[in-house]
Amino acid sequence: MDTRTQRKWDDASRTFDLFSFAEDRRLGPGKRKLFEKIQGRTLLVAAGTGNDFKFLPPGLEVTAIDISPKMLAKAARKTAAYDGTIELLQMDVCELAFPSASFDTVATVCTFCSVPRPIVGLRELHRVLKPGGQILMFEHVRSAIGPLGILMDFMTPIVSRFGPEINRDTVGNVQKAGFRLRRVENVYLDVLKAIEAVKDGSGWDPANRAA
Amino acid sequence: MFFTIGDYIAGALIGIVTALAVRVAVSPGMDMVIAILLGLGIGMLVHLLVGLLLSPLLGMFETMMPAALTGMYGGMLFGMRDSIAAGSATLRAAATVGALFGLIVVMAMKMYDRVLRGTVIDTGE
Repeated sequence: MDTRTQRKWDDASRTFDLFSFAEDRRLGPGKRKLFEKIQGRTLLVAAGTGNDFKFLPPGLEVTAIDISPKMLAKAARKTAAYDGTIELLQMDVCELAFPSASFDTVATVCTFCSVPRPIVGLRELHRVLKPGGQILMFEHVRSAIGPLGILMDFMTPIVSRFGPEINRDTVGNVQKAGFRLRRVENVYLDVLKAIEAVKDGSGWDPANRAA
Repeated sequence: MFFTIGDYIAGALIGIVTALAVRVAVSPGMDMVIAILLGLGIGMLVHLLVGLLLSPLLGMFETMMPAALTGMYGGMLFGMRDSIAAGSATLRAAATVGALFGLIVVMAMKMYDRVLRGTVIDTGE
């Protein structure tokens, strides 16, 4: 378990819900639209304080993980309001305890800006997805707009001390981890994106490439 | 509507605070390179502080992206101007230009967002 990351998000859990008022209203419709595509047994990565549970379609069987026990403690209070099943587990996305091919869908919201080893984490998600399974991501990435991208590079060393890295190439990382892109949509500028990708059923697994 | 008006007010506020802070820190005759770097640092601090205060009301992304542009690029421009006393002689004038800069940045970001928003890859599956 990455205790440094865990501590950072334990600390962040104190103020995390302060941002839900505006985020729910401005970004909620985009999350709901993306999550409408969830099918089958679902892994929700980095559940945080459970603020995104309300955007999940009803009736799902969801396993929600987070590295921070303090986040999960807050999320536990929100599971009762969900019309379906949510199991909460403390887990590092880079060291998933699930067998291979366990899930039909993986969903993430602003997660891979914060995972210190994003490709390792994405390869783990590739492993636990069934062949033909999908990953649905609502993520912020580095802007390709020159002046904005430079600012994001400049700010990342400061912001990442208490929050995420804001200059990640998550679309590229998804492909590097072995997923095939199905759909990418810009939600705000080219910074906030809805990313849909699939694990092809070929049996090729980048995690085993070196073997 | 609340968020649109809020975005513009936030942009103007960050522009005003940055312009005034730079005006206090940079005096005419200061080395322009130092003044620009100082303006950048001040803009960074201002946009982080004011942006984080406004984010719970207006949203993290929609506040911080224009705030970063206004604070940091605006800070550099204001620093350059103030080091050679090239206009905006009074605090009020400096604040007005700061507000105008912030409003224009927010407007540009909204236009850019409209252009960029939407599907960029779709395999049709």
